[in-house]
Amino acid sequence: MADVLIDIEVAYAKPEEQVILVLKLPECSSVEQAIKASGVLARFPEIDLSGSNKVGIFGNVCGMDQVLKQADRIEIYRPLLIDPKDARRRRAARG
Amino acid sequence: MIDRINALLPQTQCGQCGFKGCKPYAEAIAAGTADINQCPPGGDEGIIEIARLLGVPAKPLNTRFGQHKPKQVAFIIEDDCIGCTKCIAACPVDAILGASKCMHTVIASECTGCELCIAPCPVDCIVMKPVPRPTPAQKAEQAQKAMRRYEARCLRQARAEAEKAERARKKKEALLKLKSFKQ
Repeated sequence: MADVLIDIEVAYAKPEEQVILVLKLPECSSVEQAIKASGVLARFPEIDLSGSNKVGIFGNVCGMDQVLKQADRIEIYRPLLIDPKDARRRRAARG
Repeated sequence: MIDRINALLPQTQCGQCGFKGCKPYAEAIAAGTADINQCPPGGDEGIIEIARLLGVPAKPLNTRFGQHKPKQVAFIIEDDCIGCTKCIAACPVDAILGASKCMHTVIASECTGCELCIAPCPVDCIVMKPVPRPTPAQKAEQAQKAMRRYEARCLRQARAEAEKAERARKKKEALLKLKSFKQ
């Protein structure tokens, strides 16, 4: 049976450069397969999927084995620069 | 007619016209319940085009809805972002990439400059930055893209709502079954 292809985007964003890579993948592909197929890792060697970078779909963190649906956008997230709780305490202390 | 009016709107999806997006405003114009001069991002240029399409005289922008200003895009100050996702929920065109407790980043090519992300940010870490004035062709391309993203987002949200309602219904059903079983 011929595979049905779905439209997928893989996105990664830094303040000075953002990319959205468009690709077609067989139905039931995983997040991991999409990221591999997109070539985003070669373009941004700093991405560390087993370490600091989480992945998700439209703002919701998910696992690498998550199965994709038509029109999903896989997003590679970067960590925060500050600790939100520390920042809150500092703001409170400032008054 | 709605689609033809919508095609002339800038697809900023800012809601300054008093409607929830460009398409609802286009629907209201077509229905005769909204005036043609309520879109600040479209400005006088946009009003002239809509007037031409409808065969009515153009009029100046009604500044009660806002002032026309050059296109800007949002920018997140990373030293302050706490990863709260409020701006992501507010963005009508999925132009912000991020998740809870992860850095949020504006995808500049997708940002319509609607400013809807500014107010929800609890730490005021979003600023607007000017961008070079787009050519008419770039403007049209950006509007097309924004329309696509807006529609895809609406569809996704409607689907999520329906799924939620379905889950709630099933839960209620199961509960009722359990109750009748006990009796």
